[in-house]
Amino acid sequence: MSAQTYKKFENAGSTDLPDKMTIYQDCMNKFNESPISPKRCRILISRLLRLLLNGETFPETEATALFFSISKLFQHPNDSLRQMVYLAIKELSGMSEDVLMATSSIMKDIQNGSDLVKPNAIRSLAYVLDESTAFSAERLLKSAVVSKQPSVSSAALITSLNLLPISETTIKRFANEAQEAIGDLKQFPHSSGANSEYYPNSTFTTQYHALGLVYQLKKNDKMALLKLVKQLSDNGNLLKNQMAKVQLVKLVNDLVNRDNQLFPQFQPILFNWLSNKFESVQIETAKLITSFASSHKNARLVSPDLFASTISTLQGLLTVPRVTSRFAALRILNKISMTSPEKIVICNPELESLINDSNRNISTYAITTLLKTGTAKNISSLISTITKFIHDVSDDFKIIIVDAVRTLSLNFPQEWKSIVKFLIDVLKNSEGGLTFKNSIIEAIFDIVSFVPQSKEVVLENLCDFIEDCEYNEILVRVLHLLGKEGPFTSKPSLYVRHIYNRVVLENSIIRSAAVVALSKFALTKNDSTLKSSIISLLKRISNDQDDEVRDRATIALKLIDFTSADDENSLIAHDLLQSKKFYDLPSLENKLSAYLSSNTDSFSTPFDSASVRKFTEDEVKAMDLKRKQEQVFNNTSEGSRETPIDMSLESTTSIKEQRLDTETYHGASLDQHQEELVATKYADELMNVEEFKDFGSLINSSKIISLTEQEAEFVVSGVKHIFKKHVVFQFNIKNTLTDVALDNVAVVCTSEDAESSKLNETFTLPIDRLMPSIELQCYVAFEKDSDVVMEGFLNNLVFTTRELNPDTQEPYEDDEGFQDEYEIDPIYLNAGDYIESSFIGDFESAFDELPNEEIAVYNIQEDISLQEVIDKLVVNTSCLPLSNTQFAPNDSNSHTLKLFGKSALNGMKVALLIKMIKSSKGIVIKAQGRAEDEELCSDLVNGLM
Amino acid sequence: MSNLSLYSVNAILILDNHGNRIYSKYYKPPHLNNVITDSLFDNIKKQKEFEQKLFKKTHKQDSEILIFENNIILYKEYIDVTIYLVGNINENEIILQNAFSGFKGSMELLLNNGIDNKNVSENCDLVYLLIDEIIDNGVILETDPASIASRVTKQPTSDTLNQTLDLDKGLLGAWGFAKSKLQERLQQGL
Repeated sequence: MSAQTYKKFENAGSTDLPDKMTIYQDCMNKFNESPISPKRCRILISRLLRLLLNGETFPETEATALFFSISKLFQHPNDSLRQMVYLAIKELSGMSEDVLMATSSIMKDIQNGSDLVKPNAIRSLAYVLDESTAFSAERLLKSAVVSKQPSVSSAALITSLNLLPISETTIKRFANEAQEAIGDLKQFPHSSGANSEYYPNSTFTTQYHALGLVYQLKKNDKMALLKLVKQLSDNGNLLKNQMAKVQLVKLVNDLVNRDNQLFPQFQPILFNWLSNKFESVQIETAKLITSFASSHKNARLVSPDLFASTISTLQGLLTVPRVTSRFAALRILNKISMTSPEKIVICNPELESLINDSNRNISTYAITTLLKTGTAKNISSLISTITKFIHDVSDDFKIIIVDAVRTLSLNFPQEWKSIVKFLIDVLKNSEGGLTFKNSIIEAIFDIVSFVPQSKEVVLENLCDFIEDCEYNEILVRVLHLLGKEGPFTSKPSLYVRHIYNRVVLENSIIRSAAVVALSKFALTKNDSTLKSSIISLLKRISNDQDDEVRDRATIALKLIDFTSADDENSLIAHDLLQSKKFYDLPSLENKLSAYLSSNTDSFSTPFDSASVRKFTEDEVKAMDLKRKQEQVFNNTSEGSRETPIDMSLESTTSIKEQRLDTETYHGASLDQHQEELVATKYADELMNVEEFKDFGSLINSSKIISLTEQEAEFVVSGVKHIFKKHVVFQFNIKNTLTDVALDNVAVVCTSEDAESSKLNETFTLPIDRLMPSIELQCYVAFEKDSDVVMEGFLNNLVFTTRELNPDTQEPYEDDEGFQDEYEIDPIYLNAGDYIESSFIGDFESAFDELPNEEIAVYNIQEDISLQEVIDKLVVNTSCLPLSNTQFAPNDSNSHTLKLFGKSALNGMKVALLIKMIKSSKGIVIKAQGRAEDEELCSDLVNGLM
Repeated sequence: MSNLSLYSVNAILILDNHGNRIYSKYYKPPHLNNVITDSLFDNIKKQKEFEQKLFKKTHKQDSEILIFENNIILYKEYIDVTIYLVGNINENEIILQNAFSGFKGSMELLLNNGIDNKNVSENCDLVYLLIDEIIDNGVILETDPASIASRVTKQPTSDTLNQTLDLDKGLLGAWGFAKSKLQERLQQGL
């Protein structure tokens, strides 16, 4: 061996990456040498693998050449070389062609090789076989599955699993052998390993692999799975491996999710598993029970005893020394805390001791869970606990805590005092970066807008805060808030002084924000001295050295000047200084981009902003609150949705990573946003139809209601649009047939009670031709003779089917087609369609102030949970649930729901106080409605269900 | 809905003390080409970004387990290397923990001079083989460190066919193993 090559091998262990071409050349040379030198070849292969595992790839021809020369090494019988060869074959199989050529060598090894390399050989089969050759491995795999060697049997089972997608029929032929392997306890042989110096324990992992494969083979056969579970759970000692046991728990989970009626039957087994000697089994069982119970329709199938012992199992796991077990238990508790925090209050002492856990993730989970379990009683003590340690933790962690506190403030508006005190304290006294401070400001803003009582205290504290705040972004936001809320407080002049201080002391960005805020104070009612001092301040500012500041001051002066006049300009000026309306942002964005892309007359016609929907402040707040509530809810009820949401969330901010599955605050709004976009799109399309132009502006649109099964031949969904004097039903019809087109598609709506119908059908806009897999809209318009009309309509889809010529995708010329009908679900126009959700800070006093009262009592015989009733009520009335009453407590049989909304026609307020009690006979509901409009009130209350 | 498939491990990583990869293997179930798979699997750039971010998150943060980008991560930091197991978010944490201790334990058994960058690179063949004996395509193969270690072949001592057995090392190895097992038991008993 020359000195040079020797040196090269010496360096094999160096941490630098070897050169790709050198490795390639060396491999080609050494592997084709005769006789083969196993030691050197193994070193070479490991260097090659290092390249590949670092992400290097070879072009296909080179990879194929490498693969070919490596397969020559099969000639050498050395086992330790052989193991490496298999590794290389697996890695290279992805990038080279003709991998099939190694099959015969591999198969020879499986038959005659030593026990050591057999498993490696079997496992490499999955990489070299394809659909057409997989069957050839049947006999080999079958005999390997029944082998007494656990590693051989495991390898065969996993390979079968890997091959399953391409050769299910082959694998099915030895389903029986696989099934037997579940119960077969294969001892790990002590003497046959390469390194007999170790003393292996038999873990019986083969059981796990066999169970996994058998499930995949039988997953469509519920009865077979049931039998399997019964067999394995009756004989508690059959499964020795803990992974296999966990797999069995998962299998039960699968079964009860398919058919929830099976749950009671499994209850005794689950009880047993909760005290299983393996913590993994306890955790998995707890996961099963809690996730099953979190769905409303299943909750009552879980006996309270079982749930209680689940919680105590988890509670026990919180104190074990093993980090992973604590972490897993906390994760489950955290999930429960989102839906039913009252159930885990007993774990609070343990949770509190975990706040100082050395694992940051555990302490984070502990604190967020604790904050969720907060009840009106213990909030202040919780907050004081947090105050003690918040200054010692990192920014990421602080943000999570602040976010949790923010949720708390939405849920317990009456506790605002201690929450505000806490937030202000952290804001002023704690070190932290921009993101952290911003999250506090975000939380404070939420409190100001949803808890009106807190306004003055918060604003005064914010004034103090901006005296020494280093972040421009935050200063600007605070100034904006002061300008918005300040004029309506008892002492507006106080804020003027603070804002003007900023003008004197800060940079131009903040100065310009301060100018805008100042100008709003000029409109304060009944205070002419304040107005004149604002004017003099603004005059002084209009000499500012910065253009923007000067401009803003000048404009503000001019506008203030206008407001004193008593003409049309005054209104406009008022509006500009202090806008009461906000544009619907998604729709504005849509319109603007459409405007930019159309560009027909090089923008000589100005953009028409009137066509964009506007909202008043209350409406914005209502939507905001609704979104936040829905997020919290979605987050909890659908664990499965967590996954994609989290992914998208991830890329946006790195700070929020930590709260991945504790809080998916921003994630869920994606869906919401999508929904809004669709709604705007529908409204736009509607307004573009010539026939509807005379109806005036659209007052309200309902959510999309599904009118057929999702799997039906024609999928239909409906939207109700309300106009001043008209009602339009929009039917979205999708043709899911592949070879038939529909002509003249229309919907025939028949009133349920034709005699007294107050709606007269004016016209229908049919769809001329509906091609396969296309969705189009059909509109049916009605004229209504009074403001609020409630009616139900039976709907029939009528159309002419025309068969399509598969070549041209056009209907046959001579095919007349034939008339057909298709019944779809009825559509109901109810009082809720005339109502928009609205926000009010103080529900009780607002409720008492409303003049007209109406009371109705309902009796529901069906066996449904309170939560289901609440959900239905919220959807039916389209009101906004307030004071967090949209969640029914799981442990109580009564609930009070507070709903608030206003008429879409004239903006009259309506409030509903709905009390419900659940008994063994059903649910009794007493709805008490109060509204400004008598008719609306009675319609709403009487049409609740 | 918990995950019934056996494909529970998404990746095994070994990073150095700057977050650069020493070993990284991402897994996906084979023969499922029509299914949209995790983009991490075939995008090197994304993988490296993922590793860097993960490293930043875990460096000097002795926390063993965390949730990161929708994965359960188990890790252990040594002097100048960190070993990671990236698991499916729906998998049982303790199962993953078992696989990870199998990984950690067998590394400690096989690299008897301690786990550090130099040792891992010098014995990379052993490391590759042992990881292959723990995880196959994301399926956990074995969790007992000694079983894993005993399935990994050492380098051929010479270019001859005979392998000699180093008895001295054997006894030491046994002693070391017994010691670690005893420690583990004691810890669990507490």
